[in-house]
Amino acid sequence: MVIHYKCPNCGDDMAFDSQSGMLSCSSCGRKDRIEDFSEEFITTTFSDDEAREYHCKNCGAVLITEADTVATTCSFCGAGVVLADRLSGVLAPAKVIPFTVSKDEAMKAFKRWCKNGRLTPKGFMTSDRVKAITGMYVPFWLYDLNSKIKVNAKCTKVRTYTRGDYIYTETRYYDVYRDINLDYVKVPVDASEKMDDELMDKLEPYNYSDLKDFKTPYLAGYIAEKYSYTDSELLNRAKSKIEGYIENYIKTTVATYSSVNYRWREINTRQRRAYYVLLPVWMLYYDYDKAEHTFAMNGQTGKVVGKPPISISKVVMWFGGIAGITFTVLRLLSFVMGGVF
Amino acid sequence: MEKRLYINRLLFFFICFFVIFSFVNVSRAASNDKQRIYDFAKLLTPQEIEELEELSAKYSAKRETDFIILTTDDTRDSDVVGYMEDFYDENGLGYDKDHGNCGILTVDMHNREVYLAGFYKAETYLDDARLDRIRNKITPDLSGGDYYNAFRTFIKTSYKYMGVRPGVNPDNILFNLWFQIIVSLMTAGIIVGFMAYSSGGRMTVGGSTYKDGRRSRIIARRDDYIRTSTTRHKKPSTDGNGTGGFMGGGGGITGGGHSHSGSRGSF
Repeated sequence: MVIHYKCPNCGDDMAFDSQSGMLSCSSCGRKDRIEDFSEEFITTTFSDDEAREYHCKNCGAVLITEADTVATTCSFCGAGVVLADRLSGVLAPAKVIPFTVSKDEAMKAFKRWCKNGRLTPKGFMTSDRVKAITGMYVPFWLYDLNSKIKVNAKCTKVRTYTRGDYIYTETRYYDVYRDINLDYVKVPVDASEKMDDELMDKLEPYNYSDLKDFKTPYLAGYIAEKYSYTDSELLNRAKSKIEGYIENYIKTTVATYSSVNYRWREINTRQRRAYYVLLPVWMLYYDYDKAEHTFAMNGQTGKVVGKPPISISKVVMWFGGIAGITFTVLRLLSFVMGGVF
Repeated sequence: MEKRLYINRLLFFFICFFVIFSFVNVSRAASNDKQRIYDFAKLLTPQEIEELEELSAKYSAKRETDFIILTTDDTRDSDVVGYMEDFYDENGLGYDKDHGNCGILTVDMHNREVYLAGFYKAETYLDDARLDRIRNKITPDLSGGDYYNAFRTFIKTSYKYMGVRPGVNPDNILFNLWFQIIVSLMTAGIIVGFMAYSSGGRMTVGGSTYKDGRRSRIIARRDDYIRTSTTRHKKPSTDGNGTGGFMGGGGGITGGGHSHSGSRGSF
């Protein structure tokens, strides 16, 4: 089942517009509210057959897609199409955050970010060598996790005081017990095997107040993928993401002690819920010095991540400059304090 | 482009600054043939005396203060202080004039005593407290019989202390060139390292981003006191003279009416 959005007015292709948050037609300017569109396509169940051929509703050409693609543009006529059967049944996303950064804004924001790179080579900052920019809905699982924590520790409080000719060190020992309940909500884990986990983690945070009920028109004109891993397969990664937070929370509960020696601890994390959501990401491919650099931009907040090339001469310049300034300051300081040149 | 030019100019400025700073002291030449090492107790070889003379001549010129070494077996009916004072009066020691600026290290081998004195400019810059510091530094060498090293240390340390304004702790680590260089390089390394590290975007989520504040809390807590253990140790003694011998009574005035600072001790 392929969905294609034809403008009821003029018959041209319609696509999602990030500015207005509506389905819009670039020819006649008609805009339609996505909430008013019928939900019939995503509730209908189809067989999930990867070898199946799809035909574009607009021109009839065969759509070339990968097994994970759920939205794409027809490579012949350019119309945005959504493959509805890959978004139905267990593959139906619960929520989506629509793009709020448009393609032009994404390009501008990326250029601004490149210019701010203090260590990037000069050519990298000025040239326009963005090879490709792709708006992509990346599948994420949002986990609601509940952790029950019980710890028992031997703690000490140390106090020193002076009496007469002696210094006394007084150590008081405590048996400490804590029973803690921690709830973490909407912890995102990217569910696409193509996406670099580290890159996706750095894109956070998303503003969840913009989470919308999923409707297929949001995907029109963008690329979208379906998840490659189920929520139970990724639960361990979600747990490892909050592990450090739990650790820190436990520490704050015993912060008044000078030393803490854990006798035993029980951390029991279970999944309350997991939502399947699509989150907006701009992927930018940039050619520089015969190498391709990949950057990702949060399609909602505009935050850019990715490893830019680093210029050795700029590193040397900054290093020399900072070392020189620090040295001069220290020298002046020692002169002011003790008259030492 | 403009930014880069600006940084280059800044860099140039700092290099100039550094060069000027490091040459300002060396430029004053050092040469005169005065005797500064009076080794009556024969503690040094002729070669060592020559080397110390050279060293002392060089540093004396830079501070306009003679650094003098005086050793004796016989203090002539007097103690180490009186012997030194008489010697100063008789010989008219001093860099700028007769009876002028000088720092004197006197070693009395008969009583195994050492006395450090500063006259005029050196009386201000090498006050009793600073002379105590120098004496504490060289006493181990004197006790061990390594007189040459003790005298070298005396000349070099006195030179160093005379570059520091009176009343300031001369051993402040900030005054050392190596310390300044290391701190500068480390600061630059840390900042540039952080810049390179964060050039690819930083993690901006933390423990509170996803925490549900309403349901996350401590359900139960128990803090049971078990016992107390107390240990004690003696306060370290506050008087700083840990190297043996007695504290010198500081400075005095010579028979010829020249006031000086001083530090006395045995070794």
